Order: sequence, then C-alpha cells, then structure tokens
Amino acid sequence: MVQHTSSKRRMELEAPDRFRPVVDHELCRKCKKCVSECSFRALEFVDGTVKSIGGCVACGRCINICPVQCIEVRQIQSMFPPHANFNEHVRRGIMSQATTGGVLLTSCGTDIPYPVMFDELLLDAAQVTNPAIDPLRETVETATFVGGRKGMLEVKENGRLYMEKDPGPMVAMDMPIMIGHISLGSVSYNAQKALFAAAKELNILAGSGEGGLHKDFNVYSQNVVSEVASGRFGVTGEYLKRTAAVEIKIGQGAKPGHGGHLPGEKVSALISQTRMIPLGTDALSPYPHHDIYSIEDLQQLISVVKEATEYKVPIGVKIAAVHNVGAIASGIVRAGADFITIDGFRGGTGSTPRIIRDHVGLPIEVAISVVDQRLTKEGLRNRVTVFAGGSIRSSADMIKAIALGADAVMVCTAALVAMGCRVCQQCHRGVCSWGIATQREELVSRLDPEVGAARVVRLFRSWNEELKEILGAMGIDSVESLVGNRDRLRYFGPNSKIAEIMGVKHVGEGWG
Amino acid sequence: MPGSTRDRGSLQKNAFDNAGNDRLPTPERYGATRPPGLTYQMGGCGIAGCINMAGGRISGDAIGKMLETMGERENGLGAGFACYGLFPEHRDDYCMQFFLDHEHAKSTVEELLMSLGSITKDEKVYTHRVKTMLPPFPMVWRYFFRPNPRLEWRGRTDLSNDDLMVQLAMHINSDVPGALCVSSGKDMAVFKGNGYSYEISKFFDLGRYSGKMWLSHSRFPTNSPAWWGGAHPISILDWSVCHNGEITSYGVNRKFVEMSGYRCSVLTDTEVIAHTWDLLVRKHGLPVQAAAFVMAPWYHRDILRLDPESARLATWLRLTYKEALLNGPFSIIVGRREPEVTMIALADRKKLRPLLCGRSLDGKTAYVASEECAVRVVEPNAETWTPNAGSPMIAQVGKGILRNGTEHPFVGVG
Amino acid sequence: MTAFDVWGERKKVEAFDPMTAIERKEGCVVIHADRRDEDGRLIHYKVLNQLVRQIMLEGERHIVLDGVMGHRYIASTANRKDLYLEIHGTPGNNLGAFLDGPTIEVYGNAQDLTGNTMNSGKIIVHGNAWDVTGLAARGGTLLIKGNTGYRVGIHMKEYGGTKPAMVIGGTSKDYLGEYMAGGTIVVLNQGGQIDRSPVGMHLGAGIHGGRIFIRGKVEKHQLGPGAVMNQVSGEDAPELEALISQFEQTFNTRVPRDWESWVRISPASSRPFSGHYDPTSV
Repeated sequence: MVQHTSSKRRMELEAPDRFRPVVDHELCRKCKKCVSECSFRALEFVDGTVKSIGGCVACGRCINICPVQCIEVRQIQSMFPPHANFNEHVRRGIMSQATTGGVLLTSCGTDIPYPVMFDELLLDAAQVTNPAIDPLRETVETATFVGGRKGMLEVKENGRLYMEKDPGPMVAMDMPIMIGHISLGSVSYNAQKALFAAAKELNILAGSGEGGLHKDFNVYSQNVVSEVASGRFGVTGEYLKRTAAVEIKIGQGAKPGHGGHLPGEKVSALISQTRMIPLGTDALSPYPHHDIYSIEDLQQLISVVKEATEYKVPIGVKIAAVHNVGAIASGIVRAGADFITIDGFRGGTGSTPRIIRDHVGLPIEVAISVVDQRLTKEGLRNRVTVFAGGSIRSSADMIKAIALGADAVMVCTAALVAMGCRVCQQCHRGVCSWGIATQREELVSRLDPEVGAARVVRLFRSWNEELKEILGAMGIDSVESLVGNRDRLRYFGPNSKIAEIMGVKHVGEGWG
Repeated sequence: MPGSTRDRGSLQKNAFDNAGNDRLPTPERYGATRPPGLTYQMGGCGIAGCINMAGGRISGDAIGKMLETMGERENGLGAGFACYGLFPEHRDDYCMQFFLDHEHAKSTVEELLMSLGSITKDEKVYTHRVKTMLPPFPMVWRYFFRPNPRLEWRGRTDLSNDDLMVQLAMHINSDVPGALCVSSGKDMAVFKGNGYSYEISKFFDLGRYSGKMWLSHSRFPTNSPAWWGGAHPISILDWSVCHNGEITSYGVNRKFVEMSGYRCSVLTDTEVIAHTWDLLVRKHGLPVQAAAFVMAPWYHRDILRLDPESARLATWLRLTYKEALLNGPFSIIVGRREPEVTMIALADRKKLRPLLCGRSLDGKTAYVASEECAVRVVEPNAETWTPNAGSPMIAQVGKGILRNGTEHPFVGVG
Repeated sequence: MTAFDVWGERKKVEAFDPMTAIERKEGCVVIHADRRDEDGRLIHYKVLNQLVRQIMLEGERHIVLDGVMGHRYIASTANRKDLYLEIHGTPGNNLGAFLDGPTIEVYGNAQDLTGNTMNSGKIIVHGNAWDVTGLAARGGTLLIKGNTGYRVGIHMKEYGGTKPAMVIGGTSKDYLGEYMAGGTIVVLNQGGQIDRSPVGMHLGAGIHGGRIFIRGKVEKHQLGPGAVMNQVSGEDAPELEALISQFEQTFNTRVPRDWESWVRISPASSRPFSGHYDPTSV
C-alpha cells in the first residue's frame, strides 16, 4: 500500500497489494526470522503463526532467509479484471494519484515492456575465411584505456625510437567495464564500499555518484571517478584531485532533464556529513548546472576542472541519451572532454518521478550508434573515450554495446543484483531489506561488504571471460577491434528503419 | 592419368585450368567499373616479392616464376604485379596507370588531368591477348603526369603534390564512371587483372619490364563477381600492398582512414591497409617500424617486459592508433618508393598466415614469399628465415636489409 | 637458368607423357619432378603423387624424387612400412600427411604442415621445416635438423602403445605443443645462442598430455596456460637418450648431454580448464 499523508483512508478506493507472501505452515518452524527481516513490515507473528498483513513488495528477503524455504511470494493476479489497454499498471497509477495528489515516485529502471534492441541483435563469428581464436589458450586482450587522445603521436629517432612526453592523462582498466555512479546516499556505506573494493580488485573504475567521497574510501580513490553534479555535493578541490578521473554529470539516463533527488529519509548523519548538508533535509540537485546554460559554458566548466586537477586526470561528461544526442556529443568533444558517457533511458536510479523514468529519453542501443557515427563523420571519434550505460544486463549487452560504438560500458543495476538486489523498485523508500538502498543501520549491517565485493568481482570476471569467448569466435584478439565494428552485428527485429539508423545490416545481408 | 590427353576443343579447354582443376564459372565479370551492389571483397591468396638492393634490375620473368610455383594459392579470379624503378627516364613524373572501360571515361580522365597539370607522355600499356582469359578487357593506359605548381583543388591551396595525387586518384575511382586508377606513384606501376598469375603475366608481357623491385599477388577470392579493379596489389601514391589474409577489424580500420580523409572505392581490406600506411608514414611521419608496430602491436603483458622508455612508447602507439590495429590473419608485402625503393614484409602478431624471407648468397637480392619454393625456384642457394610475428622485415635499395624481422621493435636502424 | 617458353604462343608439341619422368635405376626408381610439360610448366603435384603411388604399388622399396619444387601432399596416406622415399629439393605443404609407415628423407627445406596427422612412419628433414609441423600427429617420428616455425606439434596425441616424437635440432617459435595431448617434442638449440630462448611464447598452451624437452633458456612468462616447467629427471633419461641418439646418427652430429641446461614442460593437470564454466541452470 502506498504511504500517504491524508488522515482518512478509504480502503475501498485504493489499489490492493500486488504481492502476498504465502507461508507453508506445515514446514514453518516459527523461528520468526522472516518477520524481523521484512523491512516493509509485511509479516507479523500473531496467534502462534506467521501472517501476512499487507505491504509486500516482493523484495525476496523472506524467501532466502527462511531456513526451510517455506515462503512463496505470489503476484496477486486476480485483483484486476484483465484489460490490455487499461492495464493493471495504468489503473494502479490512477488510483494512487487520486489518493495522494502527488507526482508518482519510483526507482530502478523502467519496467514498461519497450522493445529491447539488444535482444534483436545477433553477433557474427569467423568461419573458414578467417580463423576463430581460442581465448583459453591464446591471448585475447580486453584492456581498455580512458582518456583523450590527440589523433597522432610524434615519434622521434635517435638510433632508437622514442617519444618525448606523454600526450595526456590516461587511465587503464583491465576490462571495458566501469561501475556506474551510485551515490552514497542513494545506497548505503556498505554497498558503496563493496563496489569500490570490487573496482580495485578488478582494476577498473567505479563512479562515486554525486554524494562526494567518504574519507574512509580514500584508499580506493585511484579506482574512483568523482562526479561533479549540479548540486556540487562534496565537491572540493581536494576531492577533485584525489580520484582517478572526474565526470561532470549533466544528466542521467533514468531521468533526463531532471536533477538528483535524495529524500530526507535517506539523509542520515553519515550522508549529511559527506554531502555537507543539514541532517534530514531532502538533498536536491538542481535540474541544470547553474553555471552551464549553453555549450560554451560547459567548455568553461571542463576547463576550470582541468585547471583544478592540473591536467593530471581525464575529465569527462555524462549525458542522458536524448533525441539530439549526436549533436550534443559532438559539442561536448569540442568543449574539451576526454571521455563521454551516454546513459540510456532504461538506466536505473535510486529515486525519480515515474513519468520521467518511463517516458523520456532514448534507448542506449540507438544512442550509442548515433553518437559513434556522428563523431566519426566529424573526424572526432578517435579523440575521446565513449562509455555506454543504461541497463547493461549481461555480457551479451556489453558486447553488443561495444560493437555498436562504445569503448566501454557503465554497469550499475547488475552489480547491485549481484549483491542481493531484486529490482523491486522500492529504493526511494529507504527501507531496502538487502541493506543496499537504505541508510538505516540495522538494514545496512545485513550487507557484508567483503561478500558483496567478491560477488561483484566474480560477476564481472565471468563477463570478461564471455567477452573473450565472443571476440575469439569472431577472430578478433583485442577488444579495440570490436569498438564500433557494426559489421559484426545483424538486426533480427521487425523494424528495419531502426537497423538503418543504428547502421546495422539486417540478418541475411552479407558483406561480400 | 591427368595431363595425358591435351587436344580438347576450345570450350573444354576453358573448363579446366592448366593444373587440371575445374575452373569454376564466374558469370559476372567487370573491368574498371565496380560491380554494382559490391560492398566488400574477401579472399585468400599467395604473395611474393623481390628487391635488388644493389640497384640492379630484376626481370618480370623472375617474379612470374615465384608466383607460378605457388599456383595452388590462386583460383584464377585475380592476380597482379607492382614494379618499382620502372621508368628512370620519367622518374619525376607521376605515372598514372588506368583501367578504362570506354572512350568517354578516357576523355574524362584526360580532360581532368590536363586541367590540373601537364601530361609529359601518354601511351597504351602493352597487352597481349591470352586465349584463356575472358572479357571484358578494359583499356589499359598510362600517363606521365606533372601537377601544376600552386594548384588549387576544390578550393584548397595547401595540398602538396603528393596530397593532390591521392585526392585525384580517389576522386577518379569514386566519381568518374568507367575509370579506375590502378597506380599513381613515381617511377612505378601496377599490372593486374582478372585471371591466373601466369595469364596476367602473359597479358602484360612482364618479361619486357625490369625494375629494382617487384611485388606480386595471386588471389583466391571467395565471391564472384570477378573484377579487374579488385585484384592486388592495391596502390595509393607510391605505396602498393599485397595481402594474404582477412582483416576482422575492417569496419574499425575503414572508419579510421575515412575519418582522416581517405575514400574507399575498391572495398577490400587491402585498400584500407594501403591507406593506413600512407596516413601513418607519409602524413603523420611515423617511422616505418613504428607504423608496423601500430598495425601488429605487442600484447600489453609483453609490453610490460620492455624497458620503461620502450614500454611507454609502445603503450602510447597502441592507444593513439588503436583504430589502426589490424586484427585477424595477415601477411603483407608493402612497397614504397620514397625516399628510396623499399620492401616491407609483415605478418600478424599471431602468425596465422605464412611469411618467408630469403636473401641471395651475395647479399644483393632479398625475397619475400608465402612459401619457400617461391624463393628456391629463382634463387636455389638462398638463405631463408621466417620473421617474427608482428615484426617487419625491411629491405631498401642502397642500404640492404635494414631489419630482418627478429629485432627489438624500437631499437636499430629502419 | 634454362629459359622456357611460357610467355609465347603454344607451339604444336607432342603431348607430355608423365611416365617419361621416371628413371629406373639399380635398386631404386627416380622420379624427376623438375620435368616440364608441353606448356613449360613443372609437373603438377597430382601427376607426381600419382606416379609415386603407381611405383609404390609395383612394390618398389626405394623411390627418389628429384628437383621437387613446392609439390604438395607428397606421400599422403602412404602406408608401406618398408618404403623409403628420398626427396631432393623443396617439398611443398603437407608432406607426408596421414603418413602410416614409410620413411621419408628430405635433402633440403620442407614447408608448412609436414607430417600433418601422421599415424606412423618417419620423416627426416636435412634442413628447416616451417609452420604447423607435425599437426595432430598420432605416432611416428619427425627429425628436423634445422629450425621450425610457428604452431609446431599442435594437438599431438598418444593412445595405447603408439606415441609420436619430434626432435628439432634448432629452434621453434610461438605456440610449440599447443593443445598437446600426448607424445614427445625435443628442442636441441644447436647453433643457437645460449642466452636466447630456443622457443617462443605460449609454450604448451593448453597441454593436457605428453611432454616437451627443451635444451636452453626458458622463462616462466613463455609458458602457456596449463603448462608447468621442471628440471629433467632421471625418469626422462631413457626416452631422451633414445631420441637424441637417433638424431645424432641420422644427422651425424653430437648433442651435449648437459641435462642441467634442459627443462621439461608438462601438463599441470589433465583438465586444465575445469572450474572455468558454470553449469547452473538459469
């Protein structure tokens, strides 16, 4: 049931629960673990049995925690008569707004069944005319470098070849994956610690999110990308200089055109200290950076950050994928960015209005192809590193994103799922039963950062091995030869116009 | 027993090649004009090259023999030869050799050339009818061309003569129907076409030519139509490339050269390789072994074992030019004329294609081929070796073998 | 060099009879592979191999091929154990492919794929052999006096009593013994520099059976996945002795028994990649 503030509840007018936990009382040992573990207070121990009292969101905690696995969470289908147009989703939205009068708030990535182009793309493999490579026995390289390049290198000769100075700052990652920006505030201390520790172990980068960097995490700073968002939380000169790279956040795929929103419930003492704001207030990031109203202002901000970091680290810009993303990306490169992150509309978030999450933006598959093609056409593509994010769910998505034009991908939700998240879309309420999207001590302590880090490490290592398997099958021994190599993809979906826009041939079209 | 009955009628003769293999039908054949709908060509092949480093001359017969011995590597759909040091009396003129499908193409090309400079001499390239080759036979014509000084090309006045020649050749290949420029370097020419290597050799009567260096290639393409323009060597300015293998990073490499102003009209990975050499070495000024390193770089974990200076250079070459990494199997022979006639041989870093080098006992002649027999047939007492994967062999007239393909990537002359 | 009329018009000549390339001598039959047909072209490998087969079927035990120049697939599937094939020149690719019994001796360099999938028999090369030598060999012996190239001895295997062996007098390059499942490779590094490794990288990548003995410097980073390096032990001595003596007699040379300069490469396990895959049903 939605939490609301009106004094008189008219139960018959409200939407019923979507889920109900059902206990098999024959197996139940009455240990009451499920009752204490449910952070949504949907279970109660009454008259000697465990009873469901409403409010279940299918977070899955009770299912795993029950020692005899006797709980089943059922989706209550019978509550609404079936209607394909006025579907359950729509009717619930209406009922909720009629009760609260508010803008519907939600979290995670969009759950509307828009087509996913990743699932309509097939990869190529080498047969006869060139050989596949065995990644278990022969070298297949996945190292990726983040930073700007100058398009050519001056090499001098003096009995041997040498170069004078490094052209610019460059950060090496062992695989083309970056853990995306998840702020301390939207997630817990333990969750962020697990992500940072995983990034360090894997030798990749992790975003700090717009919550600043907690001093305990300085030890991970060489694997952290700091974020300069519109609220400038925790952004001091020292913060900028400490980390491996700096990203200016213009937007986020889940909520293009919208600022960040951390509800007061989640602004604990810890958050208040790290973000340098009063306890319990909503932490709001303005919609635009109020010093960027046009592209030349962005150049100014990039330049001032480069000065502030003494040109020692790459400076990048993150934008949400919107309709003019190609031109915007071009402008960003010309404004001096060393790397660009394009965040697609299916990306996740800790809190956002549903209207923006579900109806605004572009899918990353199309956005990254458009950006890659546009930058290539303008002769700029080899000056920047391009990241693609926004619901990269598996290694297949990662590989296809790279083939569509990304140097590397930004992954957030999948890393959280590895740590326990069930994508139940309740992050904004701050009572995550897995200890991830909450600041409550008793919930945060449920997440062991070492265990979480190890799980994320194993996940991305196996993705990296799968990347090598695919590269090898294609006869490619280094991931840079797949970046933007759209010849290696074929579109298998219903809409050939989309294939044309993405620059991908249709299945059955050869190339010789 | 194959080979015992020789007198088959003309129809039957074309149905078998000289080895008694079935000659598969290729109903579509094209001369200068690119086959419609062609988006990419692939294929396997045989390559061979020889260079007289003392400045002496090698006859076209020798190179023909090298390819002929490796006859299994071709299927009759294309072969070609490049000769350097061919026109000493016209050494300062750009020798532009064309395939022309009709008179209109020829006059268009001539008008264009005359508007941009002067034609010192032009002549029909000698060709000899070969019974086993099927039409079309494009006209093959040669122009010795000198661009006007202070020339304006499409509004630009900052182009060097070399830049202009590159733009001009690409323009003709993409925009003038029925005309294809097959070579445009000084003191060199490319002879190629649709047929077996011995047929092409006979078609152009290569025995009448001699030069300081020859490169050659015989094709085994895996798709029809057969196209004169698609044969190797593929040439831009004085660069020519013979290539055995298939580049799996073609899409990435092509975007890179196109982004730097090159236009692809032949649509093979070899064309992209030729453009990449011109871009990296002539335009960007990279030393040859640095350019070779870019195309076939060491693995990162091996770079770490180099000395720090070399490791830094290696890493930055890989980063800056990552779009120029040639992935997939390849053995290439690259020829250039500036500053002096040079032959470069390079194999991919996994050594998936064969590449053999040879040197005559008197040290004057160097050879490169896909198989040892190609070297032995012309130089029975040659010393032979294989270069390391990803390490170039460089031989230059007047200097000898600068690198034999087993050295440290950045140390030493070359 | 003799000139021949390839480039001119075809003259009216008598049809070439390949049988004229055969010369019968005392104790052996010589086939002149450098004969040219009426087009002036060298005898094609199909013709040459057919002649060899025919003479083999006649029961000849000693066949000499003279003037070989790139002819491929010589003696493929030949299975007469008492046959001795002597080759002068440069045999082409796939010499002795699927060989099952005969002895082939090459006076010259061989090309790629020598001894491809050989079952038994012996191939001797008084010179170099190049890439992919001994691919998938199941038995028999390869003795190479000089150097070899890339991807030598890939997927050699042993079963029952049959075990292949390859002795290389000089050096080899990357991927030696990749996927090895059985058999023995020996690299002698004769005439090589003592401080330069006689083998390349990815040594024994994926080896899960068999062994490679190398005389010379080998560093850990040269090993491929699944390969381990140890000193040569007393147990190895008999096999090594037998192979090296055979090499010494064949090429009339001496190989130092300086065992402390030798290493043995063998598998870390017979399942080098277990644990790599996740069998859960998702």
